[in-house]
Amino acid sequence: MALADYKYGDIIHRCFRCGYCKYPTSWIDLNSCPAYARFRLESYSTGGRLWLIRAWLNNELDWTEHLAEIVYSCATCKNCVEQCPLGFNIDIVNMIIAARSEMVERGSVPLAVKNFLDNIQRQGNPYGNARIKRGEWIKETGIRQYDGQEFLYYIGCVGSYDTRAKETAKTLGEVLGKAGVSFGVLGNEENCDGNEVMKLGEEGLFQSLAEQNIRQFRDLGVSKIVTLSPHSYNAIKNNYPGFNSSFDVFHYTQLLRNLIKDGRVDVSGGFNAKVTYHDPCFLGRWNNEYDTPRQVLNVIPGIELVEMERTRTGALCCGGGGGNFYTDFLSGSEDSPARIRIREAHTTGASVVAVACPNCMTMLEDAVKAEGLEERLKIMDISEIVGEACLVKANK
Amino acid sequence: MDSVLKALAAIVGEDHVSTEPEEIYIYSYDLGTTEPHPPDYVLAPKTTEEVQEIVKLANREKLPIVPLGGGLTLAGLAVPLRGGIVLDLKRMDKIIEVNEKARYVVVECGVSQGQLISHLDRYHPELMHSEPGAPAQATIAGNVAIHGQGDLAQQYGFNSDMVNGLEIVLPTGELCRTGSCSISPSWFTQHPLPDLGLFLGWSGTTGIITKLSLRLYPRKKIRDTGQFVVEDEELVPDIIFKITHTEMVGDLVAFSQEIPTFSSGLHHITISISGDSEEEIEFKRRVIYDETLGEYVRSGDGGFIGLTSVLRAGLPRRPPISKASDWKKGGGFEYVGAIMPVDTYPECYRRGVEISSRHDIPYTVLGRVIGRSHAMMFSWTYAFNRADPESIRQAREALHESDDLALELGGTIWKPGIYGQQLVMERMDPNTLNLMRKIKKLLDPNGVMNPGNWEVI
Amino acid sequence: MDIVVAIKQVPDTSEVVDVVEIDASEKDIKKDTLIFKMNDWDEYTLEEALRLKEKLGGIVTTITVGPSEWDDVLRRALAMGVDRAIRIDEDVTSLDSYAVAEILSTLISRLPYELVMFGAQSEDLGNGQVGPMVAEMLDIPHATLVVNLQLQGKEVRVSRELEGGVLELYNIKLPALLTVQTGINRPRYVSFTGIKKAREKEIEVVSLDKLGLSGEKLIPKVKLEKLELPPAGKRAEIISGSTEEAAARLTMIMKNSELF
Repeated sequence: MALADYKYGDIIHRCFRCGYCKYPTSWIDLNSCPAYARFRLESYSTGGRLWLIRAWLNNELDWTEHLAEIVYSCATCKNCVEQCPLGFNIDIVNMIIAARSEMVERGSVPLAVKNFLDNIQRQGNPYGNARIKRGEWIKETGIRQYDGQEFLYYIGCVGSYDTRAKETAKTLGEVLGKAGVSFGVLGNEENCDGNEVMKLGEEGLFQSLAEQNIRQFRDLGVSKIVTLSPHSYNAIKNNYPGFNSSFDVFHYTQLLRNLIKDGRVDVSGGFNAKVTYHDPCFLGRWNNEYDTPRQVLNVIPGIELVEMERTRTGALCCGGGGGNFYTDFLSGSEDSPARIRIREAHTTGASVVAVACPNCMTMLEDAVKAEGLEERLKIMDISEIVGEACLVKANK
Repeated sequence: MDSVLKALAAIVGEDHVSTEPEEIYIYSYDLGTTEPHPPDYVLAPKTTEEVQEIVKLANREKLPIVPLGGGLTLAGLAVPLRGGIVLDLKRMDKIIEVNEKARYVVVECGVSQGQLISHLDRYHPELMHSEPGAPAQATIAGNVAIHGQGDLAQQYGFNSDMVNGLEIVLPTGELCRTGSCSISPSWFTQHPLPDLGLFLGWSGTTGIITKLSLRLYPRKKIRDTGQFVVEDEELVPDIIFKITHTEMVGDLVAFSQEIPTFSSGLHHITISISGDSEEEIEFKRRVIYDETLGEYVRSGDGGFIGLTSVLRAGLPRRPPISKASDWKKGGGFEYVGAIMPVDTYPECYRRGVEISSRHDIPYTVLGRVIGRSHAMMFSWTYAFNRADPESIRQAREALHESDDLALELGGTIWKPGIYGQQLVMERMDPNTLNLMRKIKKLLDPNGVMNPGNWEVI
Repeated sequence: MDIVVAIKQVPDTSEVVDVVEIDASEKDIKKDTLIFKMNDWDEYTLEEALRLKEKLGGIVTTITVGPSEWDDVLRRALAMGVDRAIRIDEDVTSLDSYAVAEILSTLISRLPYELVMFGAQSEDLGNGQVGPMVAEMLDIPHATLVVNLQLQGKEVRVSRELEGGVLELYNIKLPALLTVQTGINRPRYVSFTGIKKAREKEIEVVSLDKLGLSGEKLIPKVKLEKLELPPAGKRAEIISGSTEEAAARLTMIMKNSELF
């Protein structure tokens, strides 16, 4: 594809390389771009990446493994979109995804990305674990298969297969059950939501997943969906409608807030800790949802909620987006964004980091261990905090 | 892996050195119109010790070294003209000390403008530095090294006049300090020790600044900005002279630009006043606007548009990147900044309009007053479209003509690129030039520091 | 440079080892809940063949012996960029390596080729025999476990992987047959759109008759008696492939285990 055929061929040169894309809203630190924070070379900043993409499509640079890694190191956190002062800012991440699409069609993607996508093509999850094991975590929980209940409780790949995230999926199920919410899961029938697939530039596969899921949901008579992961929430809410779907989709914190307000979830058991909340990018910058999770935490007695330095629109991404929780381009250094984030959380004096996303969960849990802070900082999903407050015992 | 790469990786770690085509490509380019030149190695060191090791290696291997901060001079000063090593210094980003009572801050060379603004705003809200209006990633050290000017220029001069001390890695690798920090832990003054001012304005050809101490100034609670507009450019120098007499003003800038069209041909004089109370502001306003500028208003030669008063507390200043960068819908602009006598403003403006028009670029000129009308930084800005080589060529020509113009009108070029440096050296007193040659030879016998710059013919 | 690449379809048992069960006949594994895919080794082999084609021109033909479900792997090969895909229609589970080799060599002898390429082994039975057998039947030289190959005029220079990281270098006159080890290259990703487009391409289906062979003639020389799982106890998995792949696999295992 020449530059002329590239979707953003007429605007990608407009990046001035001013560098605001690397900053948070306050300029306290230069490392709010996860990839730039990790490598601190201009090529890994958004501006550098855009210049490289342009040079590649313009035949000034050949495709190399290194170029592909740079293009795929972006966690699609949208900090750059938030901070870029120029008018084309809304398209920046789309430009990177469009470049990835080009690499996908040429077949030239990094090995880890290939494995991610191949695994989804084959087994419906990026890990390549057996499709028929997707619903394993449901055993002995009392959670029911979806069969016309009010809500479809959609888990997603990380929640279904990752050891730690599975606990979250269970706990949320218990909390919803205790609240008397009518819901069911798809178990082994659940398929990948495709959010990361889309961000990795595999449009064809995303379309196939979306259409498959929409058909499945429709055939089952689903109208309301509650998701564990903000990634699923984002895809179903923003991208599925492009394929003729109309479901009412909620992230679980939105449901919990209402349930607590209505007294159906009784949090009077409290949760005594200083807690800091880590905004997940796919709730925060992607969907402008900063308040609801905080409302849930604020209403639980005993919680002292403190904010990190970088919060809301300026939150630092855990680095797990864009498939990175699997492809792992940003790890291996104390400059990994997840580790920077943990150090930031630690300085608040909080003993618990509250997350609302299974990807954030896995990234930050690894980072806590790498930082040697296991004794001092615990990563907990909001569902688990609520679970403790309403005395639902989490399976630890 | 070649042996030099191996040695460099041993100094900074494999993650922070690259010879990959992608890094080479990015670090070949300045953001302005300068032609790209590829480096051989791109490095991002973290400590002064690492920088020293790299410099020593460069001397052994006869490799050029180009120090790079935010890369926003737009004059190509960090383009590796002879290849070699580009040193991306932004990892050295610690704010080492803020001394409130003596009002100074000690920073590493990679600390950015944004970082310092944020830090002072958060922890020392009554202190400010002279902030140059560059994007936040411009470095403090880089700006000082090119004799930048900021919003305290009228009051206190060039940013390089605000330096209390430097830590430098010399071109031969030794670490050196200038100022009181060379004899005590305090970085509070440069004078009266013997002048070792050999490192500013030299475009990185005489050493690498690794730390610097910068004076901070009182930051008052209220900032008041007004714009006084005149049509006749000949009035501007006089107005500036009179306003600077009052000793009441902060930043003082006169600008004129073609876009938006209603402002074309007009001269906006932006007057900043600060104060800790309404009374203070009111008093200063009266002296400047009523008593000093009143006559121009009464004669119909000038008028006010807009007066904004902002409580400074809690708001970091947000210099946006110049809209000029997108005027050609092309992501680029470059400007010639010249240090000019204030009374050349009218001619600078007129000739600027003419040069811009000939090169089909909307004109943008600006003059920032330095000191009590001692000088001004006058800039001619030319936007270009990065995707259009012709528009880049036009901009480059306009820039060269502006370089010529600055010298023709009796000024000198601020942070000149290669073209401007040659113009300056051609006009220079031969003994001065010779002194420059001697200093360079003394400090950098192997000629490794940013070669191609200030190359005395 | 015309190349024939033989490939096959296998069940996906890489990350899903815990779902493998022996079926009632005790001669095969239960396949009804498994997903199927192209044999890993074949992916590398196709990639290598395609890279040669991209450099030197020529036709790459991919062939397989198997039932209609195996069209999927041929389609994947077409999506990767092979020019022609042929399937000999036969239920391969009743055949042994020798019989398969007879069928393939019969077809190959009717195709233009300078190079015949096989994966070094397959993920199901892992015999590693068909390639060398075909070479003998075609009476052409062969080398197995090739980790590097360079064309040099009418010869191919190959590196073979031995134990302990030792490499053996050969110059082999063309036409020749090579069996290829994983890790020789980085196989291209095949996009979903690419596979969809490949559906429009033709897959030629050939019957045994057409090759002048018949089921009765192909008597297996080896009979599979029984298939059983290793005794329960400590579980071990030998991780093969290049260092990079092995490290990636090890990381996934550790991540998914209950250890962390």
